[in-house]
Amino acid sequence: MSWRRLFRRAKQDEESARDIQFYFDTETGDNIARGMPPAEAREAANRKFGNRIFIREEIYRMNSAIYLETIWQDVLYALRTMRKNPAFALTAVLTLALGIGGNTALFSVIRAVLLKPLEYRDPDRLVRLSLDNPLKNVQDMSLTLVHFEEIKAAARSFTGLGAFLRSADTVTLSGGGEPEAVKGARVSANFLDILGMQPILGRSFLLEEEAPAGSPVAMISSGLWKRRFGGDPQVGGKTATLNSMPYTIIGVLPPGFAFPFAGVDVWMTKPSEWSALAPRFWPYVTSLVGFGRLKPQVSLEQARAELSVLHSKYILDHPERVDAQAGIVLRMVWWKDQIVGNVRPMLWMLFGAVGFVLLIACANVASLLLARATSCSREFALRAALGAARGRLVRQLLAESMVLAVAGGTLGVLLASWSLSAIARVDALNLPGAGKIQLDGMVMGFTVALSIATGVLFGLFPSLQVSRPDLIDVLRESGVGAGRGSSRRGAFGFSMRGLLVVGQVALSIILLIGAVLLMKSFVRLNSVDPGFRSANLLTMKIALPPARYDTGQKKARFFEDLVGRVEILPGVRGAAAVMSLPTMALLQTNVDVEGQPPLEPREQPSYQFQSITPAYFRTMGIPLRRGREFTARDNSLGAPPIVIINESFARRFWPAYPTGLDPVGQHMGEGVDKIKSAEIVGIVADVHERGLAFNAAPEFYVPYVIHPPQTAYLAVRTERDPLRLSNAIRNQVQAIDRDQPVSDVKTMDEVLEATVGQRRLTMLLLGAFALVALLLAVVGIYGVIAYSVAQRTQELGIRRALGAQQGDILRLVLGQGLGPTLVGVVIGIGGAFGLTRVMEAQLFHVSATDPVTFVGVALLFAGVALLASFIPARRAARIDPMAVLRDG
Amino acid sequence: MSKKAKPEGDMLQGTLDMLVLQTLVLGPAHGHSIAHAIERASSEILQVEHGSLYPALYRLEDRGWIASFWGTSENNRKAKYYRLTPAGRKQLAVETSRWERLVSGISRILRPAAGQTP
Repeated sequence: MSWRRLFRRAKQDEESARDIQFYFDTETGDNIARGMPPAEAREAANRKFGNRIFIREEIYRMNSAIYLETIWQDVLYALRTMRKNPAFALTAVLTLALGIGGNTALFSVIRAVLLKPLEYRDPDRLVRLSLDNPLKNVQDMSLTLVHFEEIKAAARSFTGLGAFLRSADTVTLSGGGEPEAVKGARVSANFLDILGMQPILGRSFLLEEEAPAGSPVAMISSGLWKRRFGGDPQVGGKTATLNSMPYTIIGVLPPGFAFPFAGVDVWMTKPSEWSALAPRFWPYVTSLVGFGRLKPQVSLEQARAELSVLHSKYILDHPERVDAQAGIVLRMVWWKDQIVGNVRPMLWMLFGAVGFVLLIACANVASLLLARATSCSREFALRAALGAARGRLVRQLLAESMVLAVAGGTLGVLLASWSLSAIARVDALNLPGAGKIQLDGMVMGFTVALSIATGVLFGLFPSLQVSRPDLIDVLRESGVGAGRGSSRRGAFGFSMRGLLVVGQVALSIILLIGAVLLMKSFVRLNSVDPGFRSANLLTMKIALPPARYDTGQKKARFFEDLVGRVEILPGVRGAAAVMSLPTMALLQTNVDVEGQPPLEPREQPSYQFQSITPAYFRTMGIPLRRGREFTARDNSLGAPPIVIINESFARRFWPAYPTGLDPVGQHMGEGVDKIKSAEIVGIVADVHERGLAFNAAPEFYVPYVIHPPQTAYLAVRTERDPLRLSNAIRNQVQAIDRDQPVSDVKTMDEVLEATVGQRRLTMLLLGAFALVALLLAVVGIYGVIAYSVAQRTQELGIRRALGAQQGDILRLVLGQGLGPTLVGVVIGIGGAFGLTRVMEAQLFHVSATDPVTFVGVALLFAGVALLASFIPARRAARIDPMAVLRDG
Repeated sequence: MSKKAKPEGDMLQGTLDMLVLQTLVLGPAHGHSIAHAIERASSEILQVEHGSLYPALYRLEDRGWIASFWGTSENNRKAKYYRLTPAGRKQLAVETSRWERLVSGISRILRPAAGQTP
């Protein structure tokens, strides 16, 4: 066979027809010449030649790639069958598209986030260094500079060790256009060496630039380079005004460079410096996270062992330090694990869930095909009896499922690319490497493989069913019974379709239980009282450049001025400045309450603190429980030190609160700034400073003037839509300081949403998957029952004729539907019992084996299944026995 | 259906191919005359359905051992003529020698040398 001939077959066939015809004419002519009558002559030629059509067919077949040929025929046949039954084809294709599309989308997310190696050299050797305190159940705390430097000087396990400031530094970029607040990172000078990366332009930091007296230099992102500097190749050496200070730009980092976090536009060195805090705090505040590259022969465990020795030495040497508290241990994990640590379980869970959906979809399509194949089994048996090869029949069925799978896959890819563009826009997902999500070759390969596997998976059942050898039985059965192939029993005594229902039900139950658990968590989370009223509250971030706002007085005056101006804007009910908004917990400090047993500094408990302008509680709607709020007089310089505590704080130190000794009027000291003997003047309600999912903790508030932060948030209570006021407020900022940018303008609702967004999305996705699964399972159950009723019409009619009541028939059919459902429910509950444990971290105040959920879902499912079987069952009960007996 | 035709076809295939090639050594011929030539040359011992010749011709042409062209027959009609290609000539030699080996092998079994009879 040559390919050329394959495509010129019609012509070839015609040629061989003419060739054969010539033989005939010549042979007939010869016979006539020999004296035969014409009819006899033709007859003799025919005998001599043999079966003319057969020969021509044989030559025709030689011209084709047999497999290709028949596959093409099968595909055409499948398409014809589908056109005859578009509803079936549409259902099947849509079902599969949903399954394959979901899997494709999630796989591309997983590939980008979890599987694609970080773009650093040999990223598997990079580690991340921080502190844990198992005693207090606190994880991943930061290090102080002293601690880090001691480790760095002594540790031998690393080829390089560096540190970065844990939180992004808001940097004001001014000069040459609008002042802009960009995300800044502070990193060790050797950070690119450790990562094994090169700047695309210019150079990296020099070691001497890290020293306190080092010259001010910065590296910029390629995004900022293009946006602000027009991609100038001579940008190296230019000066940029950062935080009102001239910085020399020394290099540009590659696009997509996301170290130590995403979205950074400016990198500076001297990692312990923090423009959000006044320099006097720097030595006391734990602000650094270490990172390093392990030497090739050193294992993570060996490095951990070395660090733990170093840490013990540090505790001995500096017992007074905050990071030398009892219980604190060094935490070292692989960088890649940390970076995806919080999304990994969620992604795998969702991937598992769409996998289930696909399996359920396969089961459904298999069930549909099975029904069809069984009703065609007589046709197939007949064809087999007439000599069709069994493989040929199986191939034909498989071709049909492949056509469905490929159509589903194609549609699924469209679905996936559409949903991916949606996913990329959801900030709440907070996915590292979200920018890398795309439908690339590997993802497409996955999808193709998945489609084929899917096609084989759901095509296999019907193929096995029809390729059974007992043709005689099928042919012998009467026309009505011919389709009773499904009556063959498998495990548990269910038909093959029944088994599919068992599987579908089990998988959907697991998904449903998972989804309900998440929903319950979400409802519980949303019903948590954040401790303030979030509606009609506008917030924005203002980072004062340390160069121009170098004294506490200047900072305090700026915010006093701003709050005063904003308060009187029309539509504003109140305004206040605060060091950090709820959910963004920033600073903790040691507290020392007078009248409590005295403690060594490092034994002192450390709690959240806030510095606020007077109207903060009123503006936020945080109820005052006792005492008074701060007044303007408290916020003036030289006023006696006072604090306001929250109720958790009160309960922590005065366990009898609200009875017993009144905390108001007591005195306390605060560690960082060594404030001694500040009087507690009020108690306010708890605020969930670390987000809704975290319990409120002890916290205290000091007047703004005591801790004027470099970066603060403005909170504005408005009468109506808060965002409409943002420009008016921005104008007030500019009126005070033309070069002062404002960033992160958000409503408080948006701030809260950002902390629950990932949960919401996970819940919605899993909920959607579970719903689809439920629908598919119901359709599956309905299909099986309806089909079996249709097949058993005659039998049921006879039962009726013999005296069975409508109720008997109803029970009979319902029982048939309930059997597999119940088995599926039991298996599903068992599976869920094991599987929901993996989502424990996603749950909030709900047990992974919440009995109410488990029982509720099981009952719901049983009810829905009953309903799904009830419709065909009632049809069965209403069968008119006379009509059946007449027709039968 | 193809499978049903195979058994005899397979047995005859090599032989028929060789006979066709041998016939064409004398010069180009059309299907009808090849069929009769084989029949005549074998003194009518080889009685095949002439039709089975055509797939063989087709196969040989596909392998490049023979080539075809449309010509005019003795009865003045358009006919497809087949001729031997150089590759076909080589193939004929190969098949002939294989055939002769086979025949001599078989005849040695059927008529053992005299000295070996006990």
